[in-house]
Amino acid sequence: MDLSVVSRNLPYLAMGFAVTLETAALVILGGSMLGLLLGLARSGRVPGLRHCAILYIEFIRGTPLLVVLFIVYFAIPPLIGHRFTAYAAAVIGFIAFIGAYIAEDLRSGLASVPHGQIEAALASGLAPRQVLRLVVLPQAIRRMIPALFNQFVRLLKFTSVASVIGVTELTGATLAVNAREFKPLSLLTALALAYFAACYALSLLGRWLNRRYAIAS
Amino acid sequence: MKGLTTAFFVLLAVAMLGAVVAPARAEDALEAIKARHKLIAGVKNDTPPFGYLDEKNEVVGFDIDLVHEIAKALGVEVEFVKVTSPTRVPLLVSGNVDLSAASMTHTREREGAIDFSITYYTGAQTLLVPADSAIKGLKDLAGKTVAVQQGTTLEKTLAQAAPEAKIQPFRDYTTAWLALRQGRADAFTGSYDVLRGFAREAPGFQIVGEKFSLEPFGIGVRHGDWQLRNAVNAVLQDLWTSGRYQEIYRKWFQVDPDMPIETWPKG
Amino acid sequence: MEYSFDWSVLWRYREQLLNGFGLTLALSLLGLTGALAVGLVAGAAGASARRLSRAISIGYVELARNVPLLVHMYLWYLGLTALRLPAFWCGVLALALYSGSYVAEIVRSGIQSVPAGQTDAALALGLSSRRTMTRVVYPQALRIVAPSLAGLFSQLIKDSSLASVISVGELTFVAGAIEGDTFRTFEAYIGISVLYLIAVTAVSRAALFGLRGRIVEPAMRY
Repeated sequence: MDLSVVSRNLPYLAMGFAVTLETAALVILGGSMLGLLLGLARSGRVPGLRHCAILYIEFIRGTPLLVVLFIVYFAIPPLIGHRFTAYAAAVIGFIAFIGAYIAEDLRSGLASVPHGQIEAALASGLAPRQVLRLVVLPQAIRRMIPALFNQFVRLLKFTSVASVIGVTELTGATLAVNAREFKPLSLLTALALAYFAACYALSLLGRWLNRRYAIAS
Repeated sequence: MKGLTTAFFVLLAVAMLGAVVAPARAEDALEAIKARHKLIAGVKNDTPPFGYLDEKNEVVGFDIDLVHEIAKALGVEVEFVKVTSPTRVPLLVSGNVDLSAASMTHTREREGAIDFSITYYTGAQTLLVPADSAIKGLKDLAGKTVAVQQGTTLEKTLAQAAPEAKIQPFRDYTTAWLALRQGRADAFTGSYDVLRGFAREAPGFQIVGEKFSLEPFGIGVRHGDWQLRNAVNAVLQDLWTSGRYQEIYRKWFQVDPDMPIETWPKG
Repeated sequence: MEYSFDWSVLWRYREQLLNGFGLTLALSLLGLTGALAVGLVAGAAGASARRLSRAISIGYVELARNVPLLVHMYLWYLGLTALRLPAFWCGVLALALYSGSYVAEIVRSGIQSVPAGQTDAALALGLSSRRTMTRVVYPQALRIVAPSLAGLFSQLIKDSSLASVISVGELTFVAGAIEGDTFRTFEAYIGISVLYLIAVTAVSRAALFGLRGRIVEPAMRY
C-alpha cells in the first residue's frame, strides 16, 4: 500500500469530500422537508392528496436509487425542456428518493403517539390542526430520532452514487485519481475510511440526541 | 396487487404527460449560447488524448482545445460538462449540453438522433494488449475477452471483425482500460490514438494488429440547430486554413494530420 | 425540446431485459444467502458472552455498514486486484458483506430479545449451553427476525442495480446498453423501474403470504 498517492492528491480529494458533505447537508434538509409534507399528505384525510402521496411513495420505494438518478438526470429534462446539471439532478434525485422513506417513517412515528394524548388534547379544546402541531408532531419526531438518523447516515452513503452520473464528490474524485495513478487499494481504503469516519460520527450524533431527547416508551 | 396497480398508473401518467408535453418548442442553441455568454460543451474526461484529466486533475485534450477555439470564435466563455460514451448523446438531446465534442464517431444511425459537424479527426480502430500477449491481430481473438466501451461503434465493428471474440462492454473508457490492466480482459479495442494515449500512461502494453475500421469524428449538435452547426463548421475550416488546427493536432498526436479538413469557399 | 415516445424498444430488447432481470435475481439471491450466512454468525457473536466475539462482531458491523455499498463494490472489483474476481462475484460479495451487517444487527437484537427466562429454563432442565442456543434461543430469534428478512431481499434487489457500475450485465446495465443503442433514455429507465417495482412487490406479497398468521409488524429499520 502506498499512501503517498493520497497525500499527493489531497486538495482534489478534499474538494470531493467537501462536495459530499455539502450534498448530504442539502439533501438532509430538503429530504426532511419533503418527507414531512409527503408524510402528512399520506396520513392526512384529503383522499386525493393521500392517493397521490401513496402512489409516489410506493413508486420510489420500489425503485433503486441509481435508476431514480438516471431518470432525473436523463429522462426528465427532455420532457420538461429544462436541463439539470449533474449536481442538481443528484440533489433533486436524492431528495425525491429519501423523502418517500422519511414519509413512511413519519407515518409510523405519528401512529406511535398514544391515542390518549390526542383525545386529551382535543378534549382540552385544541383544534385538530393545533393538536397536530403542538402535541402529535413533536412527540412523533422525538420518537423518530433513531429512524431519522438512520436515513441521514444512508444519505451520506448515497452521495457516492452521484459519482455515477458524473458529480465529482469523494468517490468520483477518488476514481478519477485512480484512473491516472492506478493505486486502487490505497485510494479505495482511504475512501472507505473517510466514509466510515463521517457516517460513524453522524450515527453517534444520532445516538446522543436520542439519549437526550427520546421519550421513554 | 398494489405494486402492479402503481406501476400501471405511473405508466399511464407518464404516457399522458408525454402526449401533452412532447410537442415542445425547440430553442435555438446558438441564440441561447450568445444570450448566456457561455457555451456548454460535453467532453470526455477519461479518453486520452481527446479529453482526460492531467496531473493537476484538470480536463485537457484535443477536443477541449477545439472547443476553446469555438468558444473564442463565438466570443463566449466555455463550461465543460463531463460525458462518457453512453451519455454523450442523451445529454445533448436532453439539453444538458449545447454540443458534444467527445471522440464521437459520425454514423448514419446516430444521425437519427443528432446532427454532426464536418469530420474533424479520422481515427482507426485497433487493439491494445499486454506486451507479452500472444495476440497479434484480429485472428488471435477467438475465445479471448476483449474490453470495449459501451455505447460506441467499436463494439459493433469488433463483433463483425472478430465474431469469435468474447466482447465485454464497460460503462466508460477508464473501467475498460482498468480491466485490461488488471488482467480481466485479454485485449482492449478502441480508436488508435486513444489506445496510444492509454499505452503512454502505463508501460508494458502495446498496440497490435491492423487498423480495422475507419472512425470519422464529428462534433454533435441537436437536430435543428443548423446555425450552431454552421458556426462550428466555419470555425473548424478557419482553423485548418490558418494552420492552427495542425498545431493543435501535432500537440496531441505528435504527427501531422493525415486527412485534411474539407473546406468550402465562402461565397 | 422534441421527444417522441417509442415504447417498442422495450419489446425489441426483451431478450436482453430478461437476461438482465435474471442476473439481478441471481445477484440478489446469492447476496441474500451470503448476507444471511455472515449475518447469522456475526449476530450470534454479537450476543455472545465473550468480549472478543462481541468486539469482532461490532467491528465488522460498524465497518461494513458505514461504508457505502458502491465503495464495497469498487473495493472488491478494483481494490483487490490480486484476487481478480469476476465482476459478478464482486457484486455478490459486496452485497453479502454489506447487507450481512444489517442482518447481524437484526439477529443480535433478536437473540437478545428472547426472554432470559427461556435460557434459564433450558439450562435448568439440563440442556448444554450449546443446545440451549441452537434449540431454544436461535429458533425464537429467527421467528422474531423473519419478517425483516423479506424487506432485506427487496432491498437487495434494488441494491443490485449498483453492480451495473462494475459492469455486471444486470437490469440497470442493460438499460444503459439500450440507451446507448437507441437513445431511448426515458423508455429504458422507466421500463426497468417498472420491472424493479414488480419484483419488489412480488417479494413482499410472497412474504406476507408465507408469514401470514405468524407476522409481527415489519419494523425493518433499514
